[in-house]
Amino acid sequence: MDNNWAVENLSTIRTLMERSALYRRALAPIMLFAGIVGVIAAAVGLHWHVDSAQAFTLLWLVTALLTVAGAFFITRKQALKDNEPFWSPPTRRVALALCPPLTAGLMLGVFFGLGSLARFIDFTVLLPFLWAFLYGCALHAAGFFMPRGVRLFGWVYIVSASIALGYVLLVQPNFEFDGHWLMGLFFGGLHLSYGSYLYLTEKKNPGV
Amino acid sequence: MNPEPYLQLDRVIHEKGRLAIMSMLAASPELSFTELRDALAMTDGNLTTHIKALQQEGYLAVAKSYQNNRPLTTCSLTAAGRKAFAGYISLLEQIVRQNKPR
Repeated sequence: MDNNWAVENLSTIRTLMERSALYRRALAPIMLFAGIVGVIAAAVGLHWHVDSAQAFTLLWLVTALLTVAGAFFITRKQALKDNEPFWSPPTRRVALALCPPLTAGLMLGVFFGLGSLARFIDFTVLLPFLWAFLYGCALHAAGFFMPRGVRLFGWVYIVSASIALGYVLLVQPNFEFDGHWLMGLFFGGLHLSYGSYLYLTEKKNPGV
Repeated sequence: MNPEPYLQLDRVIHEKGRLAIMSMLAASPELSFTELRDALAMTDGNLTTHIKALQQEGYLAVAKSYQNNRPLTTCSLTAAGRKAFAGYISLLEQIVRQNKPR
């Protein structure tokens, strides 16, 4: 008799048990951390007039790096606290789902913001929209392995970036804005809002 | 091959949907109905049916409460459920072991 089904069942059980652990990871601290870092970066950019495309891109790429590192640190701390493996297959799947859109965002930043074209065209007004679109896609992709709210949060980025871009391009073409305001709104304000919502509604882990 | 372990498998847990519910709950102290539904991509009706079957067998406890003025249904494994799940896993492992090519 073939025993493949038994092996498959055991593998499914293991995956589901690890996925269950992912569901218990509190997202509120990660979102609040990302929001605070986003707001601080926007404040730095506005206060010190980080206006050139290169400086703008560098500031926000470093901010993204800090945020990702912080998110990993918080998740790892939660896993250690629960005596669970950090780099489990579901965590790997979430990381892999995030990778393509985030890499595309990084590449756009490097080529548009730091490349030679940045001397002729001001990409600081375009990059926030592109990054918001790609970040929304990244969240949506990762949301397939996480609570449904993450997928909806991804849509919030895509819809709000569409509305903002539509307003700037179609309704008020002469509307002048600073890219840092947009970045602060997208990556500071939205994270803070979602983090606060999660903080108030997330179920506290019983007995953990 | 010895068919004994296969015949001993708990038929209530062996069903795909119920096994998924038991697996999720085995790794968590409790999960809400919504979390289970979203994680396993089940319909409300399907999940309710499986929960009832597991509840009738005494494997699963359901608690109803309120969170932010909204009803909250949470599920957790009972001691009997944990024992049955552990027994199911060890039988599966036994089946895999005895079929392993030597």
